[in-house]
Amino acid sequence: MSNTFFLDGAEIPFREGQTVLQAALAAGQYIPHLCWRPRLEPHSSCRLCTVIINGRPFSSCTQPAMKGQSVACDTPELQALRRAVLQMVFVEGNHYCPACEVSGNCRLQATAYHLGLHDNRFPQQFPVRERDSSHPDVNMDRDRCIRCETCVRASRDLDGKNVFGIHGRGIHSKLAVNSPSGLLKDTDVAAEDQAVAMCPTGCLTVKRVGFKVPIGERTYDMESVVSVALKEFREQEAAHG
Amino acid sequence: MFHVDSASQEETLHAILEKRQGGPRDLLQVLIEIQHAFHHVPPKVLSILAERLQVPLVRVKGVVSFYSFLSVEPQGEVVIHFSDNITDQMLGNRKLASLLCARLGVRLGETRKDGRVSVHLTSCTGMCDQGPAALVNYVPVTRLDAPRIEGMANLIEAGVPPEDWPKEFFAVETPMRRSDVMFRTPMAPGAGLRASLERGGERLPAWAEDLAPSDARRHHLERGGAETLKEIYRSELRGRGGAGFKTAIKWESVRSGEMGSRYVLCNADEGEPGTFKDRVLLTGYADTVFEGMTICGHVVGSKLGILYIRQEYWYLKQHLEGVLSRRREAGLLGDGILGTDLDFDIEIHWGAGAYICGMETAMIKSIEGRRGIPRRRWPLPVHMGYMKKPTVVNNVETFAAAALISARGGGWFAYNGTAQSSGTKLFCVSGDCVRPGVYEYPWGVSLRELLRDCGGLDAQAAQVGGPSGIMVSRDEFDRSICFEDLASTGTLMVFGPRRDLFNVVKNFVGFFQHESCGLCTPCRVGTTLLANYVKKFDQGCGSPVDLGEIEHIAKVMRTMAHCGLGQTANLHITDSLRKFPDIWNSRMRTTRFIPAFDLDGALEEARELTGRTDDAAHLSLEEA
Repeated sequence: MSNTFFLDGAEIPFREGQTVLQAALAAGQYIPHLCWRPRLEPHSSCRLCTVIINGRPFSSCTQPAMKGQSVACDTPELQALRRAVLQMVFVEGNHYCPACEVSGNCRLQATAYHLGLHDNRFPQQFPVRERDSSHPDVNMDRDRCIRCETCVRASRDLDGKNVFGIHGRGIHSKLAVNSPSGLLKDTDVAAEDQAVAMCPTGCLTVKRVGFKVPIGERTYDMESVVSVALKEFREQEAAHG
Repeated sequence: MFHVDSASQEETLHAILEKRQGGPRDLLQVLIEIQHAFHHVPPKVLSILAERLQVPLVRVKGVVSFYSFLSVEPQGEVVIHFSDNITDQMLGNRKLASLLCARLGVRLGETRKDGRVSVHLTSCTGMCDQGPAALVNYVPVTRLDAPRIEGMANLIEAGVPPEDWPKEFFAVETPMRRSDVMFRTPMAPGAGLRASLERGGERLPAWAEDLAPSDARRHHLERGGAETLKEIYRSELRGRGGAGFKTAIKWESVRSGEMGSRYVLCNADEGEPGTFKDRVLLTGYADTVFEGMTICGHVVGSKLGILYIRQEYWYLKQHLEGVLSRRREAGLLGDGILGTDLDFDIEIHWGAGAYICGMETAMIKSIEGRRGIPRRRWPLPVHMGYMKKPTVVNNVETFAAAALISARGGGWFAYNGTAQSSGTKLFCVSGDCVRPGVYEYPWGVSLRELLRDCGGLDAQAAQVGGPSGIMVSRDEFDRSICFEDLASTGTLMVFGPRRDLFNVVKNFVGFFQHESCGLCTPCRVGTTLLANYVKKFDQGCGSPVDLGEIEHIAKVMRTMAHCGLGQTANLHITDSLRKFPDIWNSRMRTTRFIPAFDLDGALEEARELTGRTDDAAHLSLEEA
């Protein structure tokens, strides 16, 4: 085999133009990630997919796979750093898993379990954020937003709508919507939008369906985030190559 | 047709939009003009811009809310931004800001009810050698003191527009305290460019003699560019913006890149607090900088250069535009430069208050009219930069050096410096020293020599390379400044023996929290967590376990952050912990843990509800 690299010692084949993350997933190897999704442009913001190549950190969702390179991913030190970044996500927002309707369907929660997150470590920030329940079918709870911009990209590139965007800067940046009133009800968002379906947390949800599937029978109750992510990638590859 | 508040506003907006092509790229430049004209961006204008520039409204608002100098809240007719770098703070800027606020009856960060005036703090405005400084309607006022504040307050109350204020308020000096080979003898405009064009040779090689005249001219031009590139290689010039990438390699990548449009961008964002060499260069040596860009255009085959300059230097607008038009008249810019087939022109794009835009990929986004968010690393700008085309991005000083190298030769340049850091370098010196200003030295100069020359040798510490650089203590003063040892963008802030260095840490940590773009979690959250820990120590509530947490957060940011801002935003903290532990230890009242929140204060509501005021209803600190 000509085009291969090494992921934690395992030989991984890749196609020209594939990133380290894409090649790993194609080979059935999971690298933790939250903001990256198969059909969207990489965003490189959650930083969970960071790997070490030649002693330097790179986000594997943007780093092109290169022949012969040696990639360290599942090391105790990197897993600890990923946990720390996730702890930052949890203290930055207001995530009340036990009371959240997407508990069990939440990628953030499932990824946290996968990485063995047992506490939040850092001081909780308790930000005050506005909720937007104005839309008849879609709810937006900014307490749960992790600024991954999955909805921004999905709305723009998959739904062709540009419903979402980010306002402000730094710790004060927040999810915003495309209407003069700033309310979801005045946008052309719809419950069927990929932007809503792909939200990795409970920030964007469809109304009136939250408890249709009981806790205990939800996505990540039945399957690990690893197999969900690998399946999502395989389906995408099969559909679009 | 615009439905803004008045007919004259409508006319102004119309005039601003008329000048532009009307695409998404114009958004930021148009917003800046609107901000200046209306002292805010009126909400109604946002929708008009969205429609006219074909940008979704949510993105227009995203841009307005990203840049510090744009606001949807109406600002005063006079908008004052006090520069809040540590060097300004050491000169008492906060007291002066309070004084002005008290005199005018306005709160810091707010606009007075009558709309006359607003007073804000802002990140370093690049006047550290003559602070404390402020911007008045985006024009710098330097050397502030109580009488000047008094004068400003009187003028504002009397309704005198800043254009009519005494000229000496706005005097900006450009002290070049020490010149070396680069700036000792000024270069005549055109000298570097002529040399570059003449490298094509007087005569064409024999095989080319049969070419059609236009092909021969093109061949001549090509060959000149190739020869100039060799000179840049010979000079071993490395980028002056901090990363130190070999300039010639960058230029060659673009030169040999994808055919079609290519761009030359000059980074004059200069946001690193304590840095002001671009200001000095663009004031005294603008021709040399523009000439370097033009030579780069010749070498890489570009027709358009863009100077991206921070809005803090708005006062240079007329001067820079004047230099550009003089160069066009002299045949040094425009179509057919110096009678050859070289076409190249330069545009000026303004920033709007965002440190992150000094990062090259964020700068490219900003020039494209978007939020200045650093892009992913690959593909590099030399392959896919501005408008997705091959793009050279260099610092102001790098272009100036390139012009001089073209004029005087690569060997002349490489003669100075060290093995891996060739040539001379500009250093911006500020803080506790007798002679602040810009100094030119060969790379490899020791910190001690620099401190001696500026009159700051009694310093207890110095910050080399700005807040994102290195904090050095006295026992490191013999280290030399070069890529092999203390790499630096050329910034040196000096802290005298009686300074409390904790104030330096406080200033830097606040700066990074304010300037983090918010894209990636480690930087967005990490800068805030660090700022909160510094605040905890400042309030005397620090405990030893917190120091471990601070180190931990710093490590997470260093490895996991998306770009250089987050990776380096913690260095000043870990440097100070290692080299100046006393500034932290002295702020710990006990070796036990003290929570960051006020436990007794949290009981206030319970006390109110139960009507208790007795001592037993309070926790003492010991219990807490």
